[in-house]
Amino acid sequence: MSRQQWIGIGVLALAALAVPQFAGSYWTGLITQILIFGLLALAVDLMLGHAGLMSVCHAAFFSVAAYTTAILQVRHGVPAIVAAPAGLFAGTLLGVIFAMAVRTRGVYFILITLALGYVVWGVEYRWSSFTGGDNGVTNVPRPVLIGLKLDTAEHFYYFVLVVLAIVLAAYRVLVASPFGLTLRGIKASESRMTSLGFATARHLFVAFVISAFLASLAGVLYVYYNRFVNPVSASFPISVEAVLMAIMGGSGTILGPFIGSGVFLGLRNWVSSFIEFHAAVIGIVFIATVLWAPEGVMGFARRVLARRRSGASTR
Amino acid sequence: MGFRNRQPRAQWHARALTLAIGTALVAASFVAQAQTGPIRIGVLAPITGPLATPGAEMVDGLRLYWEQVGNQVAGRKVELVVADTTCNPDQALTQARRLALQEKVHFLLGPLCGHEGPAVAQVSKETGVPLVMDCAGADTVTKWDRTPTVVRTAVSASQIGHPFGDYLYNTVKARNVTFIASDYTWGHEVAGGAMKTYTDAGGKIAKVIWNPLGTKDYGATIAAIPADTDVVVPVLAGVDRLRMYEAWFNFGMNKKFKLHAGYWLHQDVLPQLDDRAIGLTSNAVHYAAGIDTPENRAFTDAFAKKHKRLPSWFAESAYTAGLWTRTAIDSIKGKVEDRDAFLKAMRTVQVKGPRGALKLDAYDNPIQNVYITEVRKIKHPVLGDVLVNVPIKTYENVSQFWTYKPEEFLKRGPYKR
Amino acid sequence: MTGAVLQAINGISFAALLFLVASGFTLSFGLMRVVNMAHGAYYLIGGYVGLSVVRATGNFWLAIAAGGIAVVLLGFLVDRFLLRHAGDNHLAQTLLTVGLAFVVGDVALHIWGGDSLKLQVPMFLRGATELPGDIVYPTYRLALVLFGVIVAIVLWLVYRKTQLGAVIRAGVDDREMVAATGINVDRLFVLVSALASFLAGMSGVVGGAFLTLHPGAEWEILVYALVVVIVGGLGSLEGAMIGALIVGLLDAFGRWLLPEFSYFVLFAPMAVLLLVRPRGLFGEAH
Repeated sequence: MSRQQWIGIGVLALAALAVPQFAGSYWTGLITQILIFGLLALAVDLMLGHAGLMSVCHAAFFSVAAYTTAILQVRHGVPAIVAAPAGLFAGTLLGVIFAMAVRTRGVYFILITLALGYVVWGVEYRWSSFTGGDNGVTNVPRPVLIGLKLDTAEHFYYFVLVVLAIVLAAYRVLVASPFGLTLRGIKASESRMTSLGFATARHLFVAFVISAFLASLAGVLYVYYNRFVNPVSASFPISVEAVLMAIMGGSGTILGPFIGSGVFLGLRNWVSSFIEFHAAVIGIVFIATVLWAPEGVMGFARRVLARRRSGASTR
Repeated sequence: MGFRNRQPRAQWHARALTLAIGTALVAASFVAQAQTGPIRIGVLAPITGPLATPGAEMVDGLRLYWEQVGNQVAGRKVELVVADTTCNPDQALTQARRLALQEKVHFLLGPLCGHEGPAVAQVSKETGVPLVMDCAGADTVTKWDRTPTVVRTAVSASQIGHPFGDYLYNTVKARNVTFIASDYTWGHEVAGGAMKTYTDAGGKIAKVIWNPLGTKDYGATIAAIPADTDVVVPVLAGVDRLRMYEAWFNFGMNKKFKLHAGYWLHQDVLPQLDDRAIGLTSNAVHYAAGIDTPENRAFTDAFAKKHKRLPSWFAESAYTAGLWTRTAIDSIKGKVEDRDAFLKAMRTVQVKGPRGALKLDAYDNPIQNVYITEVRKIKHPVLGDVLVNVPIKTYENVSQFWTYKPEEFLKRGPYKR
Repeated sequence: MTGAVLQAINGISFAALLFLVASGFTLSFGLMRVVNMAHGAYYLIGGYVGLSVVRATGNFWLAIAAGGIAVVLLGFLVDRFLLRHAGDNHLAQTLLTVGLAFVVGDVALHIWGGDSLKLQVPMFLRGATELPGDIVYPTYRLALVLFGVIVAIVLWLVYRKTQLGAVIRAGVDDREMVAATGINVDRLFVLVSALASFLAGMSGVVGGAFLTLHPGAEWEILVYALVVVIVGGLGSLEGAMIGALIVGLLDAFGRWLLPEFSYFVLFAPMAVLLLVRPRGLFGEAH
């Protein structure tokens, strides 16, 4: 990484640490939510931005992890130290099963993941004797971490921040590794990678499971943030919005999904306070993004920077 | 990333400074005005989503009340800040936090959907902003999971179920009943309450069919009704009501079974029905547009004039919540900033709304009449020929605990499917 | 026993509607390779337009035509100004049409409101018909089965027995080759796209008469239609027929026998099928 990038990261980290000092509870809460959904978008983007496969079932992992943690804690009194890893495990396990979808490509991959996602939503929604149906599971307690109860918006925000810092560092190592390179190779031309002797299927399988793990992590954070979970968390709109967030921010980057999440959730909260047509506004954002900003905020910023740099060198 | 351009940066500083001063001035004036400025009420209703129509009814009812009293109380103006919960607890939570923390409302009013209730109560607990719970009927809010800052002005779900079970056994003389109920908390608790009093009296249950909200095809449901059923009882909400109605007549079930609904055809769905609906027992609920009192006639006429339709219980509940909160605010001379005083006033004042006399019990739930209603066709002065729900039996001053001792009821736990 | 027969008829009548919706979707995918996630929104708009026409004129047949034609116009504009930009990129198509469905749904909500509305059908289709074996069944839904079968036969004849059908089938297999033979592919696309839109709009009218129209109905029906085409095979008309029957019956019996797992009963076999035969029952490799 260049010095400028390190400086950028430093500034960003300082800004992130300072958020609760000036933002107030509401904004701190909203930013926490943005970070959590940004993580979900990042999970989706591992498949989308690197392997070139658009999954619309990641809300399923997110939701199953959230439900597992919630049900264990609320109904069985299991402590968070066990319930949270159990949630991660359940979501990731589901990822191992659903990873069969990587046998398909293109539109078939989109459709099969859509169907798989609906299975999970349908079971959560309909199997109400176990999942609580539409009501979901409420009153999930916030975890206690080494004696520190994370029950204020500020404390929980810092907790999410720490988790994210670790995950993002690992994610960066992952995508920069030969594994990440192979994924991007598959995206560019799978037949070439196969003829070069790469086991493309196995790479995609592993990538899918890792991305399910990340989505599960987002799900566990989400259930602690919101303190309840219902089948909406597994629904198609959540999955497709995560895709949109990744694209809006800049697919294939680390920061992009978080920017996308910020723009999207910020817009939704802002718009819903004064416009009745907010579903339409969200729809228009979908359309506009695809038509005019397919590379997202990060792509746009990179283009602007590149232009400025070339401008500076010719001056 | 380089900061090469110094000029704009200086400008930015200047702008930031102006902004900061501006904010400080606004904040200062806000503090100074706090006692005399407008009273802000945060309204949580589903403006979009599956229950958008009841949501609109709720907002219409509330606005009508405040317009009638000139949008003011105790010399202060009243502002309604409406937020859309989309009938999703997640969104309800976010919007409630926004209203409480960002919009600085004096109290919250709403929500409508049962499962949003506990989520919004959680925000009231977190922030201390009082919540006047409107239509959302989750039993637990005024029973097992009470919050000191929450009072309810509408109804708790099983409160209307209990009298209906009694009605089924003692008036209808049903002995072997099939329930068709919506599979979510509201359905569980209304149907559960009815089943409890009905089976306590000695009735038998042939079958309970739980359908998720939005079940598209009631053909399958109707085919599952046991043949030895003597009365079929729908307890349904949302789009399912109309689908059940169509399937009931199209499958010729009206010739096979008797039907008495615990919760089904409210006023909002009646304009869509035809004359086959006349004579059906439509609901056991705490309000019907056909109640014959001066208060209700004044309300329904005003509502019909403005909206060209008759109000459902969602509109009445919000209207009465307006009346109730205004009476309370008046009694404390407009000082809503004193949250304890406001809540205490809400708990002590008594009001007479379109649906009858109301007061809170010791558990913050209204004691009120429950009406068993029937669909009839009337000639309305404004609307002409319309279908309307008319009370055929009134259970007076029903408590949320019915005739049980509160302690026993609480020990028994909530109604579940 | 009567229960099982009744559920079977339920399944078949739902299958008739599903076929109408899915055939349009599968046609437009087969030829133009467009994944149209707004197909459900087309259904809803068609239904609402039909509803307004019935209310104004009382003529159900006119409503079917109006619903279909309104969606043909909408579909034409969408193809021209939106989908053209997505080219063959399925990812962009999916997002564009999801966004479009949000917009259409919201606009419909503001025009027709949030109530669930029912289309009035002609007098002779109301009420119930008595079938042998002491079964009483809604006349309208029996008529729907008949209608679905007629449309299926007509589509199949056009597809298999006419020159136009032959060109379309050739286009499904290899677009470039058809273009090379001098056929105006653009005009062919417009034609097939119009047919797909018409089917969607029309099915909104006939479906709205028994499922009711309401915000959210667009996604409800889209998901079922997707399952049908996935099971049957994207782009295959025969697949849509068989797929609709399978899905309709699975749905009816699933919700009767295993109500808590009805979605599982519907979707899980499809997921398994996709893994064994990724192109569906009748799908051909592209």
